[in-house]
Amino acid sequence: MVALLLARSVPARAVDAPKLAGEVDAKGLAAAIAAQRGKVVVVNFWATWCVPCREEFPDLVRLEKAYRARGVSVLGVSIDLPKDMPKVEKFLATSAPDFPNYIKRAGGDDQDFIESVDPKWGGELPFTVVYGRDGKKAEVLSGKQSYASFEKAVASRLK
Amino acid sequence: MKTLRLGLALVGIAAFALPTLADAPAIGAAAPAFELKSVDGKPFSLADAEKSNAYVVLMFIATQCPYSNGYNDRMRDMAAAYAKKGVLFVGINSNNTESVDETAAHAKQHGFGFPVLKDPGNKVADLYDARRTPEVYVVGKDGKLLYHGRIDDNSNDASKVSSPDLKNALDALLAGQPVSKAETKAFGCTIKRA
Repeated sequence: MVALLLARSVPARAVDAPKLAGEVDAKGLAAAIAAQRGKVVVVNFWATWCVPCREEFPDLVRLEKAYRARGVSVLGVSIDLPKDMPKVEKFLATSAPDFPNYIKRAGGDDQDFIESVDPKWGGELPFTVVYGRDGKKAEVLSGKQSYASFEKAVASRLK
Repeated sequence: MKTLRLGLALVGIAAFALPTLADAPAIGAAAPAFELKSVDGKPFSLADAEKSNAYVVLMFIATQCPYSNGYNDRMRDMAAAYAKKGVLFVGINSNNTESVDETAAHAKQHGFGFPVLKDPGNKVADLYDARRTPEVYVVGKDGKLLYHGRIDDNSNDASKVSSPDLKNALDALLAGQPVSKAETKAFGCTIKRA
């Protein structure tokens, strides 16, 4: 009875709220992408301070729901600094993505991380990279995208 | 094999092409000429600025981007320090989401002693393939691009900078030395194009 009361006093939603999947560096991110081999993988780089990132995020949530069964995986990578972790967690709780989101490990030169993701990336956010089922990079999308743009990028790789 | 290589190259170009963005001028190439108006209504010509200064630093900046705003004091201080050495710093706001009035108020609020230009329709950002704020370009007297990239490697904390790249580039140039790291990258806000 006591256990039941205790259990009932814990808000259920807090348990369900999406949490960060962990920290990643360039190597860790490459491993996370490689683990999805066989799927079309959409990797989106975002930050809580980035307005267009926040604006396009619901479209990624929608995309993942719509295309999950057809073999699309979405991975999010927050570029926020460790001091902004509470903001990151709040943002994830509000936007409720059904896909994992990592935070870039602090330290090191950001240029090395940017170059490792794509040599053509200037560091602007948001930035999205689409990988084909073969694990190879298929397309990069610079700046805020529309749902149609995300859909076009994945649909052509599902054929 | 040649055909395969060409094919792969074409696939590469198609995959990485960023439509609406022109190619960035390479280091050593001519910096695209342009004329714009400052937020206080004064005309600015890059060609004229090149003639009357040893170097011109073009800085694509924003009023609402935390990464750009992290550099307000550093931009103000560097501009003042290097003005004595014949270097002109110029701010360019290409965001279609930030008005002339807002850009002028921001420059005044942060004590910018350098001209801040408004780039309607982000034409100059397109000429330079500028993607983010802040993003800087150093142009020499001969109109050539000498440095492109970040101000330094820590937007969050000026006291923890380990690679003051713009300063290093300017100091090398002023000493008649080549720039050792002429292209650098950092995170920043996307320029909000029209």
